[in-house]
Amino acid sequence: MCRGSAQRTILGMTKPNVVTVRNLCKSYGGRRVVDNLDLDLGEGEMVGLLGTNGAGKTTTVECIQGLRRPDSGALKVLGYDPVEQADQLRPLIGSQLQDAGLPDRLRVGEAVELFATRRAHDGAALLEQFGLVERRRSAFSSLSGGERQRLFLVLALLNQPRLVILDELTQGLDPAARRNVWAAVAQLRDAGTTVLLVTHELDEAEALCDRVVLMRSGTVLDAGPPAELVDRYGRWATVSWADPAADPMLAELRGLAGVREVTYLDGKVTVHGDRTIIAHVGAFLVWRGPVPTDLSVQVPDLEAALLGLLDGVPVQQTQHELVGSTR
Amino acid sequence: MNTAVGRLVRAELKLMTRDPLVLTFVFVFPIVTMLIIGGSFGTDPDPAFAGANPSHWYVASYLTVVIAATGLVMLPVHLASYRERGVLRRFAAAGFPRWSFAVAQMVVGLITTLVASVMLLIVAAPIYGIPALHNGWRVAAGLLVGAIAFVSIGVFLGSLLPSARSAQAIGLVLFFPSFLLGAGGPPPHVMGAVLRRIADVLPLTQVTKSVREPWLGLGSATGSLIAMAVLAVVATVVAARRTVL
Repeated sequence: MCRGSAQRTILGMTKPNVVTVRNLCKSYGGRRVVDNLDLDLGEGEMVGLLGTNGAGKTTTVECIQGLRRPDSGALKVLGYDPVEQADQLRPLIGSQLQDAGLPDRLRVGEAVELFATRRAHDGAALLEQFGLVERRRSAFSSLSGGERQRLFLVLALLNQPRLVILDELTQGLDPAARRNVWAAVAQLRDAGTTVLLVTHELDEAEALCDRVVLMRSGTVLDAGPPAELVDRYGRWATVSWADPAADPMLAELRGLAGVREVTYLDGKVTVHGDRTIIAHVGAFLVWRGPVPTDLSVQVPDLEAALLGLLDGVPVQQTQHELVGSTR
Repeated sequence: MNTAVGRLVRAELKLMTRDPLVLTFVFVFPIVTMLIIGGSFGTDPDPAFAGANPSHWYVASYLTVVIAATGLVMLPVHLASYRERGVLRRFAAAGFPRWSFAVAQMVVGLITTLVASVMLLIVAAPIYGIPALHNGWRVAAGLLVGAIAFVSIGVFLGSLLPSARSAQAIGLVLFFPSFLLGAGGPPPHVMGAVLRRIADVLPLTQVTKSVREPWLGLGSATGSLIAMAVLAVVATVVAARRTVL
């Protein structure tokens, strides 16, 4: 959980929280969408709010932005109450919102002019930075999905926001466009911008975020750096190799420490268990000889480690089902 | 003018010029129907038209058709499509002041009404002539109050209706009875008692009366003007509250 004070201590330095949420609750028509949620976001952090569709992520960020009134709970964003002080707060936040568009015939350059306040960056420089300067006179409707997302990023950053919220930034983009947008977000991270990235794409969170907050059914399940979460929830491995005459050794493999399951199918041996089996199976194969030349080892990435957890499937079962996911 | 309202008005007016089809209903429909109806009853003073020249009766009535077309059709469709496509959410999240969008839409609606009205008079002048203004201030007050009321009603409808299609359907259902009974259709004197009673309670009838009567010297229409002023205040407050970002 991410309970804590309104300050964070990072490498011995105390930094004020940009976002502090305590006991946030929000229901729609009697259905609880966010349930006693706590969230902290420190200055300069890039935090991923991660969960499946319907986990309550978008509602949470809408409450943070003051676009929705919470049923209960306490929120402070950059020192402001998002509902009561929306006029002061909103100009300090740059948002890329899910399902929020622009008028079809509005041109890229005009969108920048429309959204630019007195605090605005040089819009032309941002368009240049995000590869849109050539499209300045193009209508919004003529932009590709990737170009639209990059334009939304430009608009989100235009007025030098102190907090950037990116909601499902790469939804519906092809892989090339996705990488392109990721590169743009990485630039933000490298520049020290405070970013809340809302996504259901685990690989996106792993690639971009310093810290990930896992949400399910409106509550926070866990939080931490991606590598820590992989360690916590993905402590399993699968070792496999081909051996047409492996029958005699299957019982011995099942007896090795950490082994949870051994299968033998079409001449292929697959051993599944915790991460210590990598060493134990290796040692066993060296001792028994001959050493297989096609040995493959599979360990989970963040997606494999957390997918079942976020879907509500028990962790043990998830580990068993995801032996095909590799890093 | 780099205020949020100024930027929104500038962008909206630019977008309007790029989508002339959107304006067809406001600019072309009133002119075409005025040309047809205005030429159908001759130019001799007629008791059915309270003793006025029928062509002049319709020229003095059709400015309010422009007002109704803007308020009941153009603005609701425009705003509902913005909400449907998430444009309003983007404006809200981008820190546009909460009232800026409502104010900008009202300004754009009033500018549209003014331009369309001038075009209508330019077309009417060489064909039917522009009737002499008996009480210009009253006419101006009626037009202003009516335009504010209907533009606000349009902004309110746009904030209420879930999609551009539904806004178009509801807008047309509201517009045509108002148009036929309250401005561009037969004069009240030839209507049956029931139709006349229905026409009397339509806001557009009151706007038309508050413009036509002082224009043609048929009366002052003070009651209609006051009723429209009250409607304008209420509609503006409700529309602004509904459209708050």
